[in-house]
Amino acid sequence: MTPTVQGDKIVVENFQHIFDSADGPIEATGRVDLTIPAGQFVTLVGPSGCGKTTLLKAIAGFIDPTHGRILCDGAPVTGPGRDRGVVFQELAILPWRTVRRNIAHGLEIARAPRQEIDATVKRLIELTGLVGFEDRYPHELSGGMKQRVAVARTWAADPDVILMDEPFAAVDAMTRLTLQEELASLSYQTKKTVFFITHSVDEAVFLADRVLVMSRRPGTIKASIEVPRRTPGGRDWESFTTDTDMQAIVEKVLRLVREEKTAHKKDSAPVALEAAG
Amino acid sequence: MTMAQASHARAVPMHDPFRIGGFSLVAGKFSFLLPFVVLVAIWWTIKIAFDLDDRVLVAPPDVLGALWTLFSRGILADYAATSLYAIAVAIIFSACVGVPLGFAVGANKYVARSLDLFLRFFQGVSGISWLPLAIIWFGFSDTTILVIVVYTLVVPVIFNTMVGVRAIPREYALSLQTLGASRLRVVRDVYLPGALPSILVGLRLGMGYGWRALIAAEMLVRQGGLGDLIFGARTFGQIDRIIGGMIVIGVLYIIVDRLIVQPIESLTFERWGVLRK
Repeated sequence: MTPTVQGDKIVVENFQHIFDSADGPIEATGRVDLTIPAGQFVTLVGPSGCGKTTLLKAIAGFIDPTHGRILCDGAPVTGPGRDRGVVFQELAILPWRTVRRNIAHGLEIARAPRQEIDATVKRLIELTGLVGFEDRYPHELSGGMKQRVAVARTWAADPDVILMDEPFAAVDAMTRLTLQEELASLSYQTKKTVFFITHSVDEAVFLADRVLVMSRRPGTIKASIEVPRRTPGGRDWESFTTDTDMQAIVEKVLRLVREEKTAHKKDSAPVALEAAG
Repeated sequence: MTMAQASHARAVPMHDPFRIGGFSLVAGKFSFLLPFVVLVAIWWTIKIAFDLDDRVLVAPPDVLGALWTLFSRGILADYAATSLYAIAVAIIFSACVGVPLGFAVGANKYVARSLDLFLRFFQGVSGISWLPLAIIWFGFSDTTILVIVVYTLVVPVIFNTMVGVRAIPREYALSLQTLGASRLRVVRDVYLPGALPSILVGLRLGMGYGWRALIAAEMLVRQGGLGDLIFGARTFGQIDRIIGGMIVIGVLYIIVDRLIVQPIESLTFERWGVLRK
C-alpha cells in the first residue's frame, strides 16, 4: 500500500446541492464545509434524507454540486476516479465475475502485473476471511461475504480515499459486528482516509477517529466529535462496550442525533439508531 | 387422508406415469420422443380409421419415402441450404445491427422511454405484413425475403438488448468508474456481460420468429427454400412431400436452437445465477 500523504485529503468548500424537481428546487443538503485530514476515519450520522448520500456522491464525483467545490489532494473533483474508491450499499460487485476476479478488477484495469494482482488478491482474501471462496460467484455467497468482496475489491485498487455508504446495512447483526471489527483493523493498518455514512450511532463511534452529525434536511454538519484510538491495530466490540469513555461519546452522539429527530416530529420515520448495537 | 399420508404423497415424484417395467419413455433419455410417437400414432390411426385417400392424408411411411427421395436426389439439401443461409445471414446481420442499436437506445433513458412504444408497435406489425410492400419494392427476390426476415429478427434483438442494458444496476458502472475504468472498459466489463443473457433471449426469440417468417415469405416469393418446397408440392398434391418438408422445418429449428443457442444461454444463466432471478 502507498504511504499516507500528509495534510488535508478531502476539502469540501461552501458545498450545497439543489435538485430541480417538478415541484421546484429541492435542497438536498444545506451548506457544508468539511476537511478530512489524510489517514482519518470519518463517520457521518444523520437522519434519513438529510443529504448524507448526496455529500458522498459529490465527493465520489458522481454528481456535480450546484454550489461550492470539492478538492481531493488540492485538485477539484470533476468525476469519479481511482483515487476515491466507493463501497456501495447495494453490493455493486459483478455477478458474472468470481470472488477472485471481482477483487482483482481494479488492478486489472490499472494493468498491474500478474504477480502483483495475485499477491494483492491473496492478501485481501485472507484479510477479509474469504479463503476457500475465491472461485465462487457472488450468487453463491451470503450477504456478509458479498460485502467482504465489495470491501476487498475497493481496497485492492489501493485508493487513497475510501467512501462507504451504509455498507453493512443489509447484513445480519452478528455478521455486522465482525465486519465492523475487520473494517477497523483493515483501515487502521492500511492508513486509509475513510468517509463512512451510517444510521447507527454505535457503528459511527466504533469505527471513527471523528464522528460528524448531520442535521435534518437540508442537512448541515452540526457537530464534530473526536474519538481517541485506544489500540492502534484496530477495535473490538468487547472492549468498546466496556470502555466508559467510549460509551460517553456514544451517548453524546446519540443525544445530538435524537435532538434532530425529536425537534421535528413530522419527520420521525423509523430510523435504525441501534443504541444497543 | 391423514397429514402424514398427504405429505408423503407430495414427496413421491409425480413425473412418471408412463413407466412400464424397467423402461420409461417419460423419465428416460429418450423421453422427448414420446409426444412425437403419440402424434404419429394418432395420425396413422386417423388415416386407417377413416380410410383417408392419399390425396387427403398419407401414412407416415410414405412421408419417410418422400423424404428419402428428396434427400437422395439432393433436392432437400438445396432447398434447406437456401433457408438456412437466409436465416444465418439474417441472424448475423441482426446481431451486428440490433445489438449496437439496442445498446444505444438502452444507454440513454430518454431515448429508451421515447422508443419503447415505437418498438412495441413494430413488434406487433409482423414481418409478413411487410411482404406486399417488400414485393412492390424489391420484386419476387431473395432481397425481399431477407428484408422480411431481418425485420422480424432485428426488432426483438433491439428490444431485448435495450431491456438488458436498462436492467443493469447503475452502481455496477459507477463502481467500475471508481476503480479507474474508462467508458469503453465499462461497456466491455459491465454492459456487455450484463446484457448478454438478455441479448441471447432476443436472438433466440428473433430466430424463432425469423424462421417462421422466412418459411412464409418463401411460400409467396417462390425463389427456393423450404417454404417454396412445400408450397410447390401443394400444386401437385404431394402431401407426403408437404409433411416431409414441415418435419424438416421443425427439426432444423430444433437443431439450431438446441445445439447452438440453448447451450450458450444456459451457460451464462447458470454461472451468473442472480441475473435471471
